[in-house]
Amino acid sequence: MADISEAPGETHQISETTHKAEEPESDFDPKTMRNSKPGIKRLILTLSVLFSFLLGFPFLWKSVEIYRAPLPFREIDMLSAQIESNPLLFPCHFQAIFVGFDSKPSMTPDALGSSILSQMTKLTAKPPQCGTCSTNFSIAVTVDSSSGCIQTRNLEYTSSWRCGSMGTIDFSDDEGVDKALADSLGGKVYSVVVVNGDREEVSAVVGKYRHAWVVGRVSEAEAVARAAEIFVKVFMNGGKEEGLIHGEFMPVGADGKIVLSFNLLNSDPQDWVYDWDFQSIDETLLAPVIEALESVANISVESQVLYHTPKSSFSHWDDEQESYIFSTKDLPFFVNSNEWHLDTSIAAGGRSKILQFVVYIPSARECPLLLQLPNGEISKTNGFISPMWGGVLVWNPKDCLKDSESQHPLRRTISQQDLQEVFEVVMGQFRQLFGLKSNNVYVGASGTSSLLASERGFTEWELDVLSRQHTCFNLHSCATTLGSLSRLVQSLPRMIIMDEIGKQVMYSLEAANLARSNASLGLYDASAVSSRQARSLAEDAFFHPSIMSVSYYSFEHCFAVYSPFFLPVSMHVLLAALREWRRYKQENKKYVAWKTKVKKDS
Amino acid sequence: MAHLPRPTLSLFLVLSLQIIFSAIAFGSDFQESDEEEFSEELLLRPLPDRKVLAHFHFESRAPPSLSDSHGRHHHLFPKAIAQLVQKFRVKEMELSFTQGRWNYDRWGGFDPISSSNAKPPGVELWAAFDVPQYLVDASWKNLTHTLSGLFCASINFLESSTTYSAPEWSFHPSSGSLRYGTLPREAVCTENLTPWLKLLPCRDKAGLSVLMDRPSIYRGFYHSQQLRLTSPEFEGRLESGIVLKQTLTVVLQPDSQGASNTYSSETKLQPSWSLSSIFGRKVTSRCVLAKSSNIYLQLEGGLVTELENVRKENVISWIDNVGSEGWRTNPFFDLSVNPDSVLREVNSLHGSSSSVLYEYSVAKYSDSRPFDLGLKWKSPVVWSCPQAPLHASRFLMGSGNERGAIAISLISTGLNEHFLGANIVEGSCKLEVDIFQVVPWYVKVYYHTLRVFVNGQPQAVTDVVEKMRVSPSEDKVSPGVMELVLKFPCDVKSAALTLEFDKGFLHIDEYPPDANQGFDIPSAIISFPNFHARTHYFEDSSLKRSPMLSKFQEKSRVRSYSEVLLVPLTTPDFSMPYNVITITCTAFALYFGSLLNVLRRRVGEEERFLKNRAAKKAGRLAQLLSMLSAKIRGKKWEHPQSPSASSSFISLKLIVKVVLVTGIAIAWQYYSQ
Repeated sequence: MADISEAPGETHQISETTHKAEEPESDFDPKTMRNSKPGIKRLILTLSVLFSFLLGFPFLWKSVEIYRAPLPFREIDMLSAQIESNPLLFPCHFQAIFVGFDSKPSMTPDALGSSILSQMTKLTAKPPQCGTCSTNFSIAVTVDSSSGCIQTRNLEYTSSWRCGSMGTIDFSDDEGVDKALADSLGGKVYSVVVVNGDREEVSAVVGKYRHAWVVGRVSEAEAVARAAEIFVKVFMNGGKEEGLIHGEFMPVGADGKIVLSFNLLNSDPQDWVYDWDFQSIDETLLAPVIEALESVANISVESQVLYHTPKSSFSHWDDEQESYIFSTKDLPFFVNSNEWHLDTSIAAGGRSKILQFVVYIPSARECPLLLQLPNGEISKTNGFISPMWGGVLVWNPKDCLKDSESQHPLRRTISQQDLQEVFEVVMGQFRQLFGLKSNNVYVGASGTSSLLASERGFTEWELDVLSRQHTCFNLHSCATTLGSLSRLVQSLPRMIIMDEIGKQVMYSLEAANLARSNASLGLYDASAVSSRQARSLAEDAFFHPSIMSVSYYSFEHCFAVYSPFFLPVSMHVLLAALREWRRYKQENKKYVAWKTKVKKDS
Repeated sequence: MAHLPRPTLSLFLVLSLQIIFSAIAFGSDFQESDEEEFSEELLLRPLPDRKVLAHFHFESRAPPSLSDSHGRHHHLFPKAIAQLVQKFRVKEMELSFTQGRWNYDRWGGFDPISSSNAKPPGVELWAAFDVPQYLVDASWKNLTHTLSGLFCASINFLESSTTYSAPEWSFHPSSGSLRYGTLPREAVCTENLTPWLKLLPCRDKAGLSVLMDRPSIYRGFYHSQQLRLTSPEFEGRLESGIVLKQTLTVVLQPDSQGASNTYSSETKLQPSWSLSSIFGRKVTSRCVLAKSSNIYLQLEGGLVTELENVRKENVISWIDNVGSEGWRTNPFFDLSVNPDSVLREVNSLHGSSSSVLYEYSVAKYSDSRPFDLGLKWKSPVVWSCPQAPLHASRFLMGSGNERGAIAISLISTGLNEHFLGANIVEGSCKLEVDIFQVVPWYVKVYYHTLRVFVNGQPQAVTDVVEKMRVSPSEDKVSPGVMELVLKFPCDVKSAALTLEFDKGFLHIDEYPPDANQGFDIPSAIISFPNFHARTHYFEDSSLKRSPMLSKFQEKSRVRSYSEVLLVPLTTPDFSMPYNVITITCTAFALYFGSLLNVLRRRVGEEERFLKNRAAKKAGRLAQLLSMLSAKIRGKKWEHPQSPSASSSFISLKLIVKVVLVTGIAIAWQYYSQ
């Protein structure tokens, strides 16, 4: 059959016999001309088959197409670009109150305001960090002197400060001052009260709320410098030192939950077995902290006691300290993940963050066990933290003597007082995990300020810092999650994407934008809530089970299924159309040649 | 219940008296302190077939969680389990990992261990939830996933509704909130034991669990690791919290080197063993956190009878010889360590002698003086274990890949005669048997084909079957479940049930890996509701009852598991879909191509062309032929007249064609007949 279909292409083609027989002319060459129009029936037929095939292809393509919900790739890129280029900044309001300064021409509120402002701009980090205050600070200055009370004007808010109310406050009692100032200042405005007094030594205290005060004999310039430093370093940045945990590592789960898992490890119960009354600690010490941190995270607490849990690093006996010493370079090996079955919590659903706090009781062979700092000193807390994991604290029993005669080990409960001390350290570790200072002194360039510790673990201004950072962290991780999702989806063109994912991505973007707009308006809580929502939706989309499953219908698979049919058939159809077309052209040429000849002849 | 014969009634009286007694005993037990408790025990029992049974029993108790801020703080009780119970509101749960099959004939079928610790091979999980009916399935699914993560096993395969069922009354009394599922092919190994040990406060660092040397315990004939949870607090009983019982039952073969060769009699001497010889380790210390840690050596009733027979001959009463040495040595064996106390079973229901328990407390031993109990046999002894009333086995009938039948055969072990011997006279004595059977959907059982044979004679189903619940399988949705209550006459010798089935076809992607191995039908559960496996040991009331012994005292029905059946199903060639695709596509392509060619064929032109060509070809061929003939004849070749030659050739071709067609027609005719 093949050589027959080859025939039209060959040159020794013979035209229809009828013409040959009837043609009387001698110069009619049947090889180069014909006297009838070539038929187009077969050409139309093959072409129509070809076209119906071509028309069918889009339908086939549609039918094997996998469902992909449209994802807003452009918006995702835009969000990450925006978060990269201009970090999330919150508007903050500051007020400085100068009490007891002589009225000099330079002591006008406006002049003071501008000098504080210039100091603050100098102090702020050049590329503004995410989650701090925006650089166009608004500062209100009140000068409360014996001669009168002057305030800066042209501001959208007025200070609630009542002039002359300072006289009643006794500055020797920090707690009392804090309370009094909280009553008179209040509000969302960060304030520094500078009281020019007779006392030689200048003391600066940052209270539990959103204010600080400087008391003592201070010059005007010094007062301005101090106020600016407290504003920037403490209220804006949370008094953090460089090198501490960066704000991006916020130990909060994607669903806004933290599980604090407390573990008491008896490294060798043959020596002694300690137990604790965690119930009371939970109620008295932890409950207020959990309540305070409500705006940042939803915290739950659980505890367990584990036994036979030796540490996996070595310690050596030190005669000078009369104790066993482990140094900071052993810390990476201290946590013995083979024997410490700290467990992830079943109660914590999904993507909660679990922070492990371990109280380690050494065995009699290594008691007392102390941590040596790199500078040779013995650590006061005897503990360490591991960012995003938790903290470890070594607690040595009072007397490390073991009654070796007794078969039965000592069974004791850690006393309430000891437990209190332990939890003070744990609380410090917890604060450090959030990136806050664990001691209550801030040493700045212009002097030392003491920070009043709140009984709730976190002061108001610290919570402000945390909630700002939290929002920033959430938006950051939302943007990166969405970014990797969009990269993943784009790199796998035949991956099924459910509608739900598209919806989650859209809502996540919406929430992220809402958080940004709320942040620019200064609505801390609202922006924290929507940023958390944005992050959790983004993670939901990324970890959607349909993405996780290997339901990836690859192109190769599709090709393997359809090619046995389409490859041979398309060859037939294409070749037939091609040949008919070629033959038609050839025959037509012959006809035209004959036509011209006839014309020439006539 | 009203038609129960009098002797059974009296039996019940005995039983109920015992319940009252044990309830009193439990009364003191349930005055729980608010402390979490842990206890460890090990039971060793020489088996008649020269093996040793070791049964570890660890029990953790948590106080009611309401008093402890919803159970968030734990001291001894494993946090993971408490959270699991709280999260899924598990009322009761039992998870077992088993390797090997419990030999009911030789290792006993009528004691608490065999009825509650003999489990089907693979994984068995059942759980009852305290949630509304519509949430039970969701809880079950979540629970299977959690357990699968917790125990490093593929328990999550029980999530699919085709693998679990909801037995109503034959398995465990519950109000519809119970789910039951098994994975007969799950391999059990150390990766399942390690997380199980993690739930113990001392793990395998101290205490009796030190004995769990992995190579020795996995070398055994039977290995069953079980976890049982009860949390009565959901049922409104607030006096007790979660109870977690972890048991490990192993049957080991002691090395018999250098022991038995001295005896030439046909009954061989049992191999002597010690803890260090069967486990390769000794008990060095107790787990300091355990409230009690004891090791028991149990002598079964049959063995005690043998002992007593010998003693009678020697005119020394068993009871009289209470001297400290008396327990250690007797004509049959020597013990290396003197027991702390000896407990006797209070009343045995099996008619034979009551069993004896030697108790050892581990607290006295230390690293310097490890505890290594040894048992040295001195003379051969043969005894038998108490048996369940009927010995159950299950097998497949029929051949081929199309249909077959499941048969459950029950053969009397002689116990019921023995036990209810007096009742035969009255003739109305009935033996009640419950059968629970789950069949996967691809084995399509026709329940109407249920036939019952008693003593080899076919019986009407209605005569024997007292109660029946069948939920037929639904393809790809649920397995078939059959629950039966059968009543046989007490003197039944043997009984059999048969059920016919068709083997279904699975979808290509429903086949498991290695489908040619066959498919498992999970074990049937055969239980005897009127027989209760319980052993009650006499103890000083001053002593706190050991959790394992009180577990033995609990009223649990005698239960046995049948074999797992392996059904070979027709397995397709798994490359078939592609073959089908390829061959269909090729056929289509051929059809399409030829159709297209036919459509664009120019018949007249082709014929002309063909003629032209044929003429040319034929001429050449004829030329060649004539040349050849000329050469052969030795004549000078001359150019032939082409037209005549071609015409003759055409006629030849025509003849060949005709012959070919007739040949085909004849062949067709011949083969089609």
